[in-house]
Amino acid sequence: MLAISLRLIGARIRSQMQYKTSFWLDLVGTAVSTGMEFVVLFLLLQRFTLIGGWRLHEIGLLYGLTSVSFGLAEMIGRGFDSPFERLIQHGDFDRVLTRPLSSFVQVLASEVQLRRLGRAVQGAGVLIFSLAQVEAFWTPVLLLLLLLSILSGALIYVGLIVIGATICFWTIKTPEVINVFTFGGQQLTSLPLSIYDRWIRAVFLSIAPVAFASYPAALVILGRSDPHGLPAWIAWCAPVVASVFFAAVLGFWQIGVRRYQSTGT
Amino acid sequence: MRLYYEIAIRSFRRATIYRSAYVAGILTNAFFGVLFSSMYRALYEGRERIAGLTLHDAISYVWLSQALIAIGAGWISWHMELERGIRTGDIVADLARPWNFYAFWLSRVLGERLFNLLVRGSLTYLIGILYFDALIPSIEALAAFAIAVLLSILISAALNFLVNITAFWLIDITGLVLVTNLTMGFFSGFLLPLAFFPPALAVIAQALPFQAITSIPVRTLLGQVRGADLALALTTQVCWAMALTGAALLALRAAMRKIVLQGG
Repeated sequence: MLAISLRLIGARIRSQMQYKTSFWLDLVGTAVSTGMEFVVLFLLLQRFTLIGGWRLHEIGLLYGLTSVSFGLAEMIGRGFDSPFERLIQHGDFDRVLTRPLSSFVQVLASEVQLRRLGRAVQGAGVLIFSLAQVEAFWTPVLLLLLLLSILSGALIYVGLIVIGATICFWTIKTPEVINVFTFGGQQLTSLPLSIYDRWIRAVFLSIAPVAFASYPAALVILGRSDPHGLPAWIAWCAPVVASVFFAAVLGFWQIGVRRYQSTGT
Repeated sequence: MRLYYEIAIRSFRRATIYRSAYVAGILTNAFFGVLFSSMYRALYEGRERIAGLTLHDAISYVWLSQALIAIGAGWISWHMELERGIRTGDIVADLARPWNFYAFWLSRVLGERLFNLLVRGSLTYLIGILYFDALIPSIEALAAFAIAVLLSILISAALNFLVNITAFWLIDITGLVLVTNLTMGFFSGFLLPLAFFPPALAVIAQALPFQAITSIPVRTLLGQVRGADLALALTTQVCWAMALTGAALLALRAAMRKIVLQGG
């Protein structure tokens, strides 16, 4: 099953690489337009110096972590985004169900979008720029933590996109509110979690736990402590949180698929 | 005139139908309002005034710019199916009717955006007032804002039209929309108030039409532009509105000359 899905994804990517100019323009366009968020933070910090006590490169670390994980998720989970909505609206999901491969894998493999990598590339640039200014960073342990946080974050973001898609089984439309957790969550967790009210911190650490992509890891890497008493070791829980969250999402997806009634068009 | 008024009214009514869409819109705007308000709280940290703005000013600015998204404050859109109509050719039916096509299109935009302003915009700002103590505007500021926001809609509509109508010449306008939105989001003062710009960028922003769409109406309602400044700001808006509407009409004329109708 894994082999089949990898081949499907490979074919997707090869077909996208056929139009090279268009591919690079898209990639650069996405990188520049999403990078604007960091330009704004940069300009604000020129005026204000600190956000909640964090300096530019520390904010850059948070920003880089969230952007890389969200960028990866946008690329991987594209099939569950608007293409999936069309699939449901046109009744084409029927065809997916007739094939001897899990519907989840098929939808995933149908639309992996390499050009969406623009956000991740831009975020990686900011991340490296920021890490270069953290002296104590380059140890294997912290490198591992960084990697785990990014992958966990990406998994959680994909999970959120899948939740949006699953709701389609009932409503035929992905609710816009899901953007608050994906795009909104990415922007929110680009800043130190400590600056937000209690309920916001709680939501983004539990219900939509995207904060695990950046904040706890940044606390450990920068040797900071959270003013509200969030323990730093929680950074190592990111993979567990992501797995539990994703397992729940898969369960929800299964319920949705069973609930599916074709639109018949 | 009567015709265009009726078109605007219908467009206004049509906008009232999509209830779940505007509820979702208000929630999204409010979320970003909360996010940026928290950010400014953490940026100011007890400091009184930065670049002439207090924390209270900055938070009010955030909520008002979020409130104005629905009337085009942040970015232009693929508006009213204009671009798709051009691409598919469906637009010819509307172009051939005995009306001024731009006036028809503008009436629809005005109807829809006035609805958005009255419902989506005012509710978003109300949340800002209730939960973040955003500024309650004075009557004079509100009156000046009414003029400024109307001019802002005219400017943004013309800009929308200009970008979308390039579909007659360009095969794909995605790139142009992206570049326009990047420039607009930044230089309109939507992403951050012009007061926080470095001087060189602020000069560029003042010379571009985008600030007349977002920055001027927002600062007017917040009472930051008064007296002679207000007169100057409104004059700037009138000039941009006339220039861009003129350009839109010229572009429409050029486009009309370009189309060849294939009888079928």
